[in-house]
Amino acid sequence: MNATLNQLAGIVGQAGVSTTPESLAAYASDSSFATPMKPAAVVKVQSAEQVEALVKWANQTQTPLVPVSSGAPHYKGDTVAEMPGSVIVDLSGMKKILNINRQQRMAVVEPGVTYGELQAALAKEGMCLSMPLAPRATKSVAASVLDLEPRLNALHQWNYTEPLRCTEVTWGDGNRMFTGEAGAGPRDLEKQWAAQKWQVSPTGPNMLDFYRLLTASQGTMGIVTWVSLRCELLPQVERTYLVPAAKLEDVNEFAYKTLRVRFSDGLFVMNGAALASLMGGNAEEVKTLKAELPTYVAVVNVVGRELLPEERVQAQEQDIAEIAQACGLQLLPSVPGLRAEQVRAKAFEPSQVPFWKETAKGAFQDIFFTTTLNRTPEFIEAVQKQAIAAGYPVEDIGVYIQPINMGVGCHCEFTLPYNAACAKESARAKKLFVDISETISSMGAYFSRPHGIWARLQLNKDAQSTIALKKVKGIFDPNGILNPGKLSV
Amino acid sequence: MALTAEIYQAFEDVVGQRNISQDKGVLESYRCITSQSSAHYGPFDHKTPLPQAVIMPGSTEEVQKIIKLCNKYKIQFKASTTFWSAMGFIGSENAIQLDMRRMKGIEIDEKNMIAVVEPYAIGAVVQVEAMKVGLNCNIPGVGCSSSVVASTAGWVGFGPTSISMGVAGENMLGAEWVLPDGEVLRTGSLGAGAGWFNGEGPGPSTRSVLRGFQGTTGTMGVCTKVAIRLHPWPGPTCIPTRGQTPAYKASLPDNFKCYTLCYPSWEAWAKGAAMLHEAEIVYLGHRQFNMFGRDIKAAMLRILNDPNGQLADLEPLLQDPELKKQNELMKMDIQVVLAGMTARDIAYKEKVLDRILELCGGWKSEMMLEKDMQDYVLLYLLRLGHKNLNYTLCGSYEGNYGLSSNVFVATAVIEEASELKDKWAKTHTTIADTGGDSDMGSLSIIGGGGAMGWEFFVNFDAYDKASIQGTNDFIDETQKWMTSKGLGVDMGRWNQDIRRKDGLNFTQEEHDAMYVNAAQPLVFAYQWKVREAVNPNHLGGSYYRTLTPSKIGLA
Ligand SMILES: Cc1cc2nc3c(=O)[nH]c(=O)nc-3n(C[C@H](O)[C@H](O)[C@H](O)COP(=O)(O)OP(=O)(O)OC[C@H]3O[C@@H](n4cnc5c(N)ncnc54)[C@H](O)[C@@H]3O)c2cc1C
Ligand SMILES: Cc1cc2nc3c(=O)[nH]c(=O)nc-3n(C[C@H](O)[C@H](O)[C@H](O)COP(=O)(O)OP(=O)(O)OC[C@H]3O[C@@H](n4cnc5c(N)ncnc54)[C@H](O)[C@@H]3O)c2cc1C
Repeated sequence: MNATLNQLAGIVGQAGVSTTPESLAAYASDSSFATPMKPAAVVKVQSAEQVEALVKWANQTQTPLVPVSSGAPHYKGDTVAEMPGSVIVDLSGMKKILNINRQQRMAVVEPGVTYGELQAALAKEGMCLSMPLAPRATKSVAASVLDLEPRLNALHQWNYTEPLRCTEVTWGDGNRMFTGEAGAGPRDLEKQWAAQKWQVSPTGPNMLDFYRLLTASQGTMGIVTWVSLRCELLPQVERTYLVPAAKLEDVNEFAYKTLRVRFSDGLFVMNGAALASLMGGNAEEVKTLKAELPTYVAVVNVVGRELLPEERVQAQEQDIAEIAQACGLQLLPSVPGLRAEQVRAKAFEPSQVPFWKETAKGAFQDIFFTTTLNRTPEFIEAVQKQAIAAGYPVEDIGVYIQPINMGVGCHCEFTLPYNAACAKESARAKKLFVDISETISSMGAYFSRPHGIWARLQLNKDAQSTIALKKVKGIFDPNGILNPGKLSV
Repeated sequence: MALTAEIYQAFEDVVGQRNISQDKGVLESYRCITSQSSAHYGPFDHKTPLPQAVIMPGSTEEVQKIIKLCNKYKIQFKASTTFWSAMGFIGSENAIQLDMRRMKGIEIDEKNMIAVVEPYAIGAVVQVEAMKVGLNCNIPGVGCSSSVVASTAGWVGFGPTSISMGVAGENMLGAEWVLPDGEVLRTGSLGAGAGWFNGEGPGPSTRSVLRGFQGTTGTMGVCTKVAIRLHPWPGPTCIPTRGQTPAYKASLPDNFKCYTLCYPSWEAWAKGAAMLHEAEIVYLGHRQFNMFGRDIKAAMLRILNDPNGQLADLEPLLQDPELKKQNELMKMDIQVVLAGMTARDIAYKEKVLDRILELCGGWKSEMMLEKDMQDYVLLYLLRLGHKNLNYTLCGSYEGNYGLSSNVFVATAVIEEASELKDKWAKTHTTIADTGGDSDMGSLSIIGGGGAMGWEFFVNFDAYDKASIQGTNDFIDETQKWMTSKGLGVDMGRWNQDIRRKDGLNFTQEEHDAMYVNAAQPLVFAYQWKVREAVNPNHLGGSYYRTLTPSKIGLA
């Protein structure tokens, strides 16, 4: 063990290696139902060179590595080791924003940069990055985009993978390269910038889409040390509206029609429970709000950026109001208990601490998958039935529906809040989580980002994809040292 | 090396007698002369080898059986569909050609804006079906008579609408693919039986193997179905047309506007293009008619709009002072189409466009504002059904320079590039002299804006040896210029590394020698590994670029 620690210290320096009980405990479990496992050491890396050396060392010593970029708390189980003797590779200290280019609307950031940090830096250049729904304050932007966390604005997704563009990666075999357009030039950002190349196009660089092997891979393929991101111009005018509805079908229809004509800059649907926990500052407020809020609410954001911003917003808000009307709904600045502007301030910004999903009951478990909007009602019905059967309070289940990829699909998310201090409640939530996952999987929910037990559920459905995935894994991580146990059947 | 009777029979048993041929006349028609196809590699006069048989499969199952037989007998194969490309032809004397024309199904999920298409569903037909339900698809610059699947699976697939709709790869959702070993891979949600809407995952996307920046040019099996993302079409259920062939015009409602934007300098042009990228107001953006050449584009447009117009009218038209003036005014131009989703939307978009012109000192070409001209251009660009015009001047063309990058980088050198071409055209008679700048292409090759997709048109005569040689010499010279400027590979040479001048595949040794010096050779070493894993018998030919890993010290 001492020899191992010395070798690690040789790579990242003494200060970068930690084996204190507290630091190991911090990575031994997370807030999900993942089985706890204490790592052998935590290594804080500072550079791509260190990562490369570390992965080479891990290949020689057959040591499992678990990459982590965000700060705690973690919720998806993907940063908890599954193999004894694992070394946590903590990239959260790599906090450099390497470049911001207004002309090409691009930024290049290291994995430790959080949304709050990046947005502040971008704002100075008149830009911003598209947001996922209120990420926790410590969430790494790189990890978020690599895991394809859905964006609030589906219309800026010319790809499922937006806003992720190029990366620098050390694959599981210890080889480091740039992906996308950046992979066609010298492996040196400074040189690329000098040649006016800003890592814009994500694909290739040649006939293989390297970056797509990293998306939703839970650190099993390579360790990424920077990502380039497509940014947006900072809104000059921004208005937000709420569209309350008693029936999900109506609000879905509204979403279809609005996205179909490319209106809005951020559109998503929540049920009252989800919206209440986003907005309520404490458990009591959540409860009160939940009682007040409509069954479903679509949140619609409209912005004007550089040219004629007010005109754009005015034209769209009138058109969107007419679409709502055609669906028998109303585009409103507020609903009882809530103003749309308040929702924007929460949804489009990093969450306060504690994370908003914890407000209702302390702990929570998410179930998310992709489908198409028209299928969401049947999934909701199935989840509610199952909850009732399990004696779980149905009214507590949060529903968040996020159109993605210009509206051809959607991310559908259920949040089950529970009180972790109560063993009975925990056990019930855990069982319900497994049962619901199995039920909706059998109904055709597609776990495109298969965390935890979903990997088994999903991969078992499709032998050829699983074989292909294994072949690819065998090429890029031949010794299976990267986050072993994840994404396997 | 003809197929033995036994092997031929085995293939025939799969597709039936009517769908396989060994007839010399038929086989000859499946050989490619690159001068007839925009392939970007010259030398323009070689022929690809004669296939051993041409087979037309009718279903995924048939494709799978054919590929299994190819593996059993170690016969190379390549599927092509609409055959506009030079990549779609075989590179070995021990190979068969698959012609996918029997598979042409289209299914549209209107609500979720998805079309599931088979290979021979060409852009024109997919577009017609989509418009019936208020949707449209990205038609790449190759035109509407090419296969949607081919551009998605085989090549790049950007075009005039890519600014608002993305390129083929961005529009690719679930895909059904017969791998080179004969197994069928269904990507994303499709493999799990959950529908076509998501081509990613589960987890890392195996679709990475099927296409990267570009498709795999038929070297990684056969794509039998692909789902593509469709886009809004705020127009009638079919494009009403008027006029006489070939100058059909679209009669569309007022929410469609078509302009030729002109700028006083390339700096202004670049600024305008960047603003168009950012403002998200254009449906379509393409510098189209400059392909005829800076000096003659206005005259060409007049000829094309006259049902009796002929190339012989060019000389007199070039003397017309008014036309000269109009031509001069649109020296640095680009065509754009605005499509308003509502009356308010088009009013807003028009205002923004005017503001951009004001900020950049630009203007709308007057000649192109004539109603008939606008409507001609509108149909031309929305439909992309006039690709024959790419060839009108001399029968053949190659795209060169290809300054397909950062708008600001490309525009800064465009006059210098034009001068080089002009000098060459004036001093050599081998390429058409159309006035230096013949640069054309898409406003963006990526959804939402970014790099442009540009090429200079070099028109030459494919039946004249001197013209072919001259074109090659010219591109050698422009490559030298590109290299001296650090601008990379000339588009006329983009594909030189994928098939030899004798029309045959490169050997591995030859490829190794090329890629070992790449900026990041690892890319090609991984592609080698992927080929070994997915295509163990190497039946796809050398269009898939690989580097033996040991050449860079890898296992
Ligand atoms: C005049 C002209 C203009 C062009 N302009 C552009 C442009 O603006 N933008 C652009 O991106 N490209 C352009 N190209 C190139 C063009 O995109 C490619 O030729 C493209 O693949 C179009 O389809 P195709 O008819 O050539 O297909 P094919 O020649 O049939 O096939 C193209 C490639 O795809 C493969 N393929 C075909 N069918 C299948 C299948 N079912 N499964 C697997 N592989 C398959 C073939 O093997 C081949 O390698 C242009 C070409 C021409 C001739
Ligand atoms: C590389 C190349 C090689 C050529 N070689 C020859 C040759 O050897 N011999 C020869 O005679 N000609 C040749 N031509 C000319 C070529 O055949 C003509 O350009 C073409 O045949 C024109 O006929 P078309 O009307 O089918 O054109 P298209 O370009 O296919 O279409 C013309 C019009 O019909 C529409 N359209 C096309 N298909 C459909 C459809 N399925 N449904 C609805 N609308 C549709 C289009 O939108 C367009 O408006 C060649 C052209 C090229 C570019």
